Amino acid sequence: MDSFLDQLEACVPALRRYARALTRSADLADDLVQDCLERAISRRGLFRPSGPVRAWLFTILLNLHRNALRASHRRGEIVDFDTIPEPSTPAPQPGHIALAEMARAIDTLPLEQKEALLLVTLEGLAYSEAADILKIPQGTLMSRLGRARAALRTLTGTPAEPHLRTVK
Amino acid sequence: MSQISRDQLMAYADGQLPEAERAAVEAHLGTNPEAAAEVALLQRQTDAIRTMFGPAGAESVPARLRPRRLAAEIDRRRTRPWLWAAAAVVLVGLGLGAGWFARPLLEARPASATLIADAVNAHAVYVAENRHAVEVGKDDSEHLSTWLSNRLDTTLGMPDLTEEGFTLVGGRLLPGEPDAGGRAAQLMYENASQQRVTIYVTSALPDGKPAYQFASYEGAEAFYWANARITCTVVGTLPEAQMKAVAGAVYSQLTEGDVGSKPPYRG
Repeated sequence: MDSFLDQLEACVPALRRYARALTRSADLADDLVQDCLERAISRRGLFRPSGPVRAWLFTILLNLHRNALRASHRRGEIVDFDTIPEPSTPAPQPGHIALAEMARAIDTLPLEQKEALLLVTLEGLAYSEAADILKIPQGTLMSRLGRARAALRTLTGTPAEPHLRTVK
Repeated sequence: MSQISRDQLMAYADGQLPEAERAAVEAHLGTNPEAAAEVALLQRQTDAIRTMFGPAGAESVPARLRPRRLAAEIDRRRTRPWLWAAAAVVLVGLGLGAGWFARPLLEARPASATLIADAVNAHAVYVAENRHAVEVGKDDSEHLSTWLSNRLDTTLGMPDLTEEGFTLVGGRLLPGEPDAGGRAAQLMYENASQQRVTIYVTSALPDGKPAYQFASYEGAEAFYWANARITCTVVGTLPEAQMKAVAGAVYSQLTEGDVGSKPPYRG
């Protein structure tokens, strides 16, 4: 049990980081992580898979996040679509991605793409583990990743292939 | 783009391409600047995301996110209903226990009443007997006294009621209340007009408390008392004044020397 709590503790920084990226709010993120840990602790031994706890924790966190979003949709607290960023102007320096633009771009991604993208890029998880967390086949994961990255490229105005050709 | 897929490029950019495919992709990138730029873009995206959100993972973790603390809190929350349940169980237990231990108090009166009833019943049964009124006759009064004393595990002398006009007929051993040693001795006395009184003696009740009680029971008068050594019920159908005189004599003789803690040796 103690080693279980140790394993949880080791995962907390990653969970916070991931939740922060998902919610874009430090408080909401920590609330989410706290809920996630509480759920994990109260369910230990019941639903806990035999493997490492990280994937299991991320699955719990994602479910909680989706539920929270659904609840806020019902309450009408959804983010106003007017605040979604305009397609951005090109990056000031070639090859440099403006972070603020990137953040806004990520916010506009469909949730399923955002979840997948952040698992693989931010957390550096293997495709197989990310697919396992999201309970989807790896092919589905890669297709979500591909669509997410294409959307980011468009939204951040990062030069696409035609432009790249001229750069070269 | 030949045989290299976008997924392979992405996997390469994410560092997740199987070792076996890596060389082929690298060769492809070497000759396809567009593909190389694509890979570079994917990597920049990843870098940007990590730059933005990575630091959150390095912040010091607030106390409310410490698993040990959360676990302790959850345990507390979980134990609370159990505590209530446990408290309920304890209270019920206390109630039952109190009831159980209060039983002797509640039954103190019934205990004496039972003894009186037994004494009166024994009286009614044996005073009617002529040839078998007693088990051991007065002629063997010394043996009677020793025998009954041994059986009752106390010293039992034969009261002398000649002043009241009664002489000993004899005595017998009877089954008695478990609380009072399980045995009882009955002594029978008779006066000149063949009126009989019986004295019903048992070992002390568990509480050993002194008690006195007069009772009329099924046409008989009973004078009951108890002390730390014995219980005694004098039963007869005499007029009340006469019964009291007899009972007084029995009482004074059977409790003689009982004032001190040590029972007198009589035999």
